[in-house]
This record gives sequence, structure tokens and C-alpha cells, in this order.
Amino acid sequence: MSIASDGLVVRINDLAVEADGRVLLQLPRLQIAAGERVAIVGANGAGKSTLLRVLGGFVRPARGEVEVLGRRLDTLDRAGWRRLRFETGQLLQGLHLVPRLTARENVLIGALARPGLPAWRSWARCFPPALVAEADAALDTLGLAAMRHLRADRLSGGERQKVGLARLQLQRPRLVLADEPTAALDPAATAQACAALCLAAAEATLLTVVHQPSLLPLLADRVIGLDAGRIVFDCPLAAVDAALLDALYAAPARPAPPGTQGAAEVREAPDDGGHDGGNSELAAARLAAG
Amino acid sequence: MQATAAVPLSPSARGRLNFLALAGVYGALVLACVVTLAAAGDLSLGRNPWDNLLKSLADFSRPSFLDVWFGPTRLEYRGDDGVLLRVENRREVEATFLWALVRATWTTFQIATLGSLLAAVLALPLALLSARNLHAPRVLAGAARGVLDVARAVHTLVFGLVLVGIVGLGPTAGILAIALHSMGSYGKLFAESIESLDRAAIDAVRATGASPPQVFFNAVWPSVLPQFVGNHLYVWEYNIRDSTILGLIGAGGLGLLVSEAVSLFQWSRLATLLLVIVALVMGFDALSRRIREALR
Repeated sequence: MSIASDGLVVRINDLAVEADGRVLLQLPRLQIAAGERVAIVGANGAGKSTLLRVLGGFVRPARGEVEVLGRRLDTLDRAGWRRLRFETGQLLQGLHLVPRLTARENVLIGALARPGLPAWRSWARCFPPALVAEADAALDTLGLAAMRHLRADRLSGGERQKVGLARLQLQRPRLVLADEPTAALDPAATAQACAALCLAAAEATLLTVVHQPSLLPLLADRVIGLDAGRIVFDCPLAAVDAALLDALYAAPARPAPPGTQGAAEVREAPDDGGHDGGNSELAAARLAAG
Repeated sequence: MQATAAVPLSPSARGRLNFLALAGVYGALVLACVVTLAAAGDLSLGRNPWDNLLKSLADFSRPSFLDVWFGPTRLEYRGDDGVLLRVENRREVEATFLWALVRATWTTFQIATLGSLLAAVLALPLALLSARNLHAPRVLAGAARGVLDVARAVHTLVFGLVLVGIVGLGPTAGILAIALHSMGSYGKLFAESIESLDRAAIDAVRATGASPPQVFFNAVWPSVLPQFVGNHLYVWEYNIRDSTILGLIGAGGLGLLVSEAVSLFQWSRLATLLLVIVALVMGFDALSRRIREALR
């Protein structure tokens, strides 16, 4: 657990993300300390998902310095990326389960990069019994005990979301990036999923994109409001009230700042082009979430 | 034309007009085929098709294999003047033929099986090059696609005729002919399987910090393997059908017996052969379909 000497898990300096000449995200400075639970709120296209994708390494910024878990992202080699990705649990929209693997096998994917797992076991998908038991326990806590042998493409959207959460539990990450982890879930499952997310991130730093204000107390003690790629507010949970959120979500009526023409109309941040797929699912998941 | 005002057509009306035009072109083509055939006098059914049909049907209705049990043990062939030319034990003769038939069926199966496997081996690298989502260098991708298209365009029989001239008569020519033609079909099917991979699932596995071989065995392999097996069964099934005919050009198997029976007008033997071919193809089709459904 060697976190950077100053205890920062995320350090962003002068970050800009662009796509097709549009500025999607512009953060002069953002720091998140170890153990913090941060929620990101904002309207569609505000840059929330883009921020998570930058931290997860799926979007390369146009300029700026990004440091995650004490590592400068632009200096990492392949092995360094793998270690960082193992320590960073990602629950992003459009990051799917493997359709033809069972729920249990999908959960075990979270443990692939654990040190000490023999390579042949991870290749043959023949995992040690202790690990399998751990995966089953993770599924049990989410109420999926009966589904462990079902293939992922036979599961409902909500069940898949939960399997993703169980996969996260096995990964034991130090930083969790979650993009609307409850998007496809009904109210009871939402509570369950929030509990599971907090459990998986109990010893970690949690960064969540949240759309339902009612979930903020469950998932965060610090809230960052984004609009058109810029930070509008960054304050403790206690300081967030309905008026603040209403003002944030009403923002698209306001003229876009220079250099961000139409950014507010972008339904969701496009990515770097190397990573296709996902945006249609984003839209679908958002529709399902209402 | 200038006098009439241009009436803008709605998209659906334009679509219907386009379809009508297409149907018109098709109708004209069919008509041209019929008229030119008739003009050349090639549109005839021969001198007495009805009698021939009845005669063939009568021969077909008594497949030769029945003679193994019900045939005469002493069939005498006599000349026009009543001189005994030859005596034949039909049961023995047909039993021998049945054995030859079993061996030929096995040869046909060998040709289809080994030809399909060879085709798969040849097609895999070409499919990897031609799959659009793997972004192989454009020159290589174009070359691979060209090879696959040519292989698909040339019929197995044509490959067979050429190969019989190169490697000689026998099953080897059949195996190579099947392999070369099926390589084209395989390459296309494999490339489509690879193109339908769920990129997002692969990214999700990579996002857990998995190494490239781990990503391959946990995300790519389980998605692609069932499709590859399904493709293989499909092409194999198709080739069993195709290889029954390869003997006609001397590439061994059931086709050889078919060509023999046809040239000697042994319609009852042809009936036996057809029964075997239909049973073989239908049996394998049913089996392969069940396996492919189980893999879905």
C-alpha cells in the first residue's frame, strides 16, 4: 500500500481533453487523496465519463499532467499500465462482461493479474479452489448465488452490472472508477449495488459518476460538479443541496463558454477513436436509467 | 419535358419505382435466356422423354443392393442365337460391389475431412490478415482478400481437374481441390467471426490488468472458438456433399462409382449409390446441425 508520498491518489494539472477540435474536459487542477469517496455530478456531456476514461487510460489527454496512484500516466510502459490497471478497478459503461463465459468465470477475471496466480491456470481458466470460493462468495453477497453457472449473455442487464461489481471485489483495487454503477438497476438492487461498491472499495479511493442525488450520501463524502468540461463546484457532501444541483443541471440553457461550442449538446464524451463501441451502450443504459 | 412541372417523388415512391425497374431488368434477362435457347433449338426434351423416364424409374425402383439377398444365384447371359455366354452369381457380384461401395464411401469421407482441415489451416492466417478490425497493413489485407475471393470463385471440380493433372489420379488430388476451394469460404467465415468480436468485453478484461495472453485466453478465445467450430462443421458438411462428385474427374471416392454406373447404364447400381450418398449427406447434416445448435 505505497501511496505517493503526499497521500494523493489522483493528481491532475492543467488537463485538457479534446475530440474533433472540441474541448471535452478542461481541469486546471484536481487532487483526490487516498481513502476519499468522491462523486462526480453533471448533465449529459459534461465530461464525467471522459474524466474516468482519462484516469483509466482509455482516453489520452491533449495536454496536461495526470498522476494516478503515484504514477505519471504519460511515462508508463506496458507492464506499468498493467500494474496500474490491476490496482484501478474500473466499472465503466460499455466495459462488458465476456458474453460466453459464466458469471463465475467473469468474476474470476478480476483476479487474473493477482501476483502468485500461475500463468497456466489463468490461461486454462482453471483457478485454484480458494479463488473460486472467493468468487462464489462475491456473487452470493449480491444475490447471484443461483446464477453462477449461467452464461453472461443469458443474464439480465441488472445482473450483468452486479457481476461486474463482483469482478471488482476480486480485483481488490486501491482506486475504484465507477460510471453510474446503478444505471440498469431497480431500487432494491440499487441499494444492494451501492453496498457492494462500498464493500469493494472499503480500503480504496472511490470515484463515482452519480446521476441520482439520493445516492450521493451512500457513495460520497465529496462532490464535484462538472459542466461543459469544467469544474463548477467541488465541496464536501454536507455543502451540497438541491439548489446547487438544480443550478448545475439547468446549465445547458446557459451559453457555452468560448472554445466549447455545442459541447453541452454532446450526448456523451466520444473517446479517442482507438476504443470503439460503448457509446451506443451508453445511450441505451441512460435510457434504461430514465 | 420542359412543359411538365417536375413532380418531386416521395422516398417511398422512388423506392417502389427502383424496385419495379429492377424487376423489369430481371424479367428481360429471363426472357433473353429463354428466347436465345429456343432460337438455337436447344430447348427440347429429346425424342421420347416419357418412355425414357418410365424406364429409368423402373430401373431405379430396384436398387442393386437388394440382389445381395434376393438376386438369382445363377443368371445366364445368352447371345441372340441362344448360346450361353456367361453365368453369374448375382448375389456374389453385388456383395463385392457393396464392399467397393463401403470403401469408396470411406474415401469420400477421407477427402472431405482432410480437405476441410487443410482448408481451415490455410485460411486462418489469411482470415487474420483480412479481418477489418485487426487493421493488418492494407497491402497484405488486400492480397489476402484477393486470394480468398479467387479461391471461392474457382469451383472444386476445376481445381480437381487441374490437380489431377499435377499430382495424378487419386484422393490426394481431391483433398487438395477441396482444400483450395474451401479455403475461400473459410477465410470469409473466420474473418466474419473475428469481426464480430465484442471489443468492449476485451477492453474490460484488459482493464483488470490482465496480460495479453490472459486477455486472449479469457476474452478472445471463448468468444471465437465456438464460432470457429461451427464454421468448421458447416464447411465439412458442405465438403462431404462436394466430394461425392469428385470421383467423376478421377479424384477417388463415390463419384468414381457414379461415373462407372452411368457409363454402363447400370441404373440399379446408380440407385444404390444415390441412396448411400443421400444417407451420408443427410446423416452428417443432421449431426453437424445439432452440434452447431448446441454451440450457440
